[in-house]
Amino acid sequence: MKVMVCLKQVPHQDARLDVNADGTWIQDGNIKFEINSYDTYALEEALKIKDAGEADVVVVSIGPDRVTQALRTALGMGADRAIHVKDDDADLSDTLGCAKILAAIAKEENPDIVFTGFMSDDGNFSAVAPMLAELLDLPSATGVLSVEVGDSLKCERELEGGALEVVELPKPCLAAIQTGANQVRYASLKGIMQAKKKPVDVKTMADLGVSDAGAGAVKAKIEKVYVPPKGDSAEILSGSTDEIVGQLVTKIKELGVL
Amino acid sequence: MDFSFSEDQMLLQQTVRDFLEGECTVEHVRSMWDTDTARSPEFWGKLAEIGIPGLLVSEDHGGLGMSEVDMVLVLEETGRAGTAEPVIHTACVAAQLLQESGNDAVAKEWLPKIAEGSAIVAVQHDQSPFVSDAHVADLLILNSGDAVHAVPRADVQLTEQANNDPAKRLSSVEWTPRAGTLLADGDAARALQAAAFDRGVFAAAAQLLGVCQQLSEMTVLYATQRKQFGVPIGSFQAVKHMLAEEKVQTEYGRSHVYRAAHSVANAAPSRAVDVSMAKRAMAENAVSLAKTALQVHGALGYTWEQDLHVWMRRAWSLDTAWGNTAFHRARVSAAVIDGAFPAIPFGYEVPAA
Repeated sequence: MKVMVCLKQVPHQDARLDVNADGTWIQDGNIKFEINSYDTYALEEALKIKDAGEADVVVVSIGPDRVTQALRTALGMGADRAIHVKDDDADLSDTLGCAKILAAIAKEENPDIVFTGFMSDDGNFSAVAPMLAELLDLPSATGVLSVEVGDSLKCERELEGGALEVVELPKPCLAAIQTGANQVRYASLKGIMQAKKKPVDVKTMADLGVSDAGAGAVKAKIEKVYVPPKGDSAEILSGSTDEIVGQLVTKIKELGVL
Repeated sequence: MDFSFSEDQMLLQQTVRDFLEGECTVEHVRSMWDTDTARSPEFWGKLAEIGIPGLLVSEDHGGLGMSEVDMVLVLEETGRAGTAEPVIHTACVAAQLLQESGNDAVAKEWLPKIAEGSAIVAVQHDQSPFVSDAHVADLLILNSGDAVHAVPRADVQLTEQANNDPAKRLSSVEWTPRAGTLLADGDAARALQAAAFDRGVFAAAAQLLGVCQQLSEMTVLYATQRKQFGVPIGSFQAVKHMLAEEKVQTEYGRSHVYRAAHSVANAAPSRAVDVSMAKRAMAENAVSLAKTALQVHGALGYTWEQDLHVWMRRAWSLDTAWGNTAFHRARVSAAVIDGAFPAIPFGYEVPAA
């Protein structure tokens, strides 16, 4: 069985984030990065399958040189191979562009299961996984809390209000894993050293035959990134619940929001 | 010449940092204080799972076969996390001593156990009358004059000693040297003892570097959050200059620690001076930084609930471990000024066993 795991490298959760000069993203030249937390759970699910039997785990990421560290960490945790799409233009892709690049890799690799994180810690779009499934014409599930591998992939999904849904996906399929789905293992020092001997294929969009991603194909553009301005006129409503609701409705009507 | 660490070494450091941030939290460190042993076999097992005890153990014996230049970043992280487990004794000093002893049988028996985390080894040295972590050790490396012995714990009698560091237990050891426990004697033993001691000194200095980093980060964070007269106290020169001066000393010491790592790994002729320089620099910085950190934290720093004292205790404990600052100053002085090393000008005379 082959399992492909899509990883994104995102700013470290403790990194100090400042908006860049043109206000379209953060200054990312001098901050620490880490594997997107959602993706670590996706990787752990893949490694659990590997631990349980025969599985070849391939990790895939798009990004500049620094992404090598994320891939090396994943290899150190137990993944078998890595594919690094290192292409300046690919880095400028929107979510659809990223999905197209990942789809091109998936078509080459023919995995039985594709795992992604449910969303990314930086963009929070939750878009790449369903787009990727659509491009590959694969059955998919998002918000997955647990998986059971057999002839098919049984996924327990998180719904609103604490409800759970169980869906069974015929393979090949895609599952976008939710945080907290498992206990993510640490890379071992031995694993990190062995990772040096594991193959990391570096590819460009041209290698993958992808021409409709990158800067020229962007359909969703980030117009502005900013720190929300601090308000100076917050009003705390007080009283019983009924009184507060009454006051709130009055305020909403006064503001003409509804 | 490029003195910077490789990407692999930096990745090892980050891996250890991630692990310790998740598993060696300050709550974990505090929780160990109230236990009988101050040690958790479960946590030691986790350290072994990621490979720390076996880092210096050769690959033939199940370790990673790395050097002190790789180990230094790991030790730094253990200091930063306040890890008090016997990483210095077992992973750093004992692992190399057993490999260098030339006693294949002992090495073959104990090195795989160190690497897999099933054995803790405590090491005696001449700058302390007591042995740290002897109470949880499976094997003790003990000196008897010009001889080094590897003695199972069952063959020694331990008496726990008073200690102001709740993260560590000290014991005096009574034992009788036997032919069956002899690792080395004569010149070979003296060389082993010297190398082991210098390795312990280096490791303590590296942990102190991590302690200093943590004390510095905690204090700078506090100084940027705590406001007085409407502004963060860190904006006052009296505070920020003090912290900047400490940081300069930490970075000064860092160079010594990295130099010491290289000297130990390569058995450089200057090894003894290099490790003493590193230990002196980091110990003085740590003790001073602990005082500064406490001053900046004000009354809050004196409270039990504030975590500052966790690292202050590590600073004080490591300051006196593997030779105090006076000893290391004298050692450097003797080497630089007199052109020779003192025998043991300060410290304790270990009674002949």
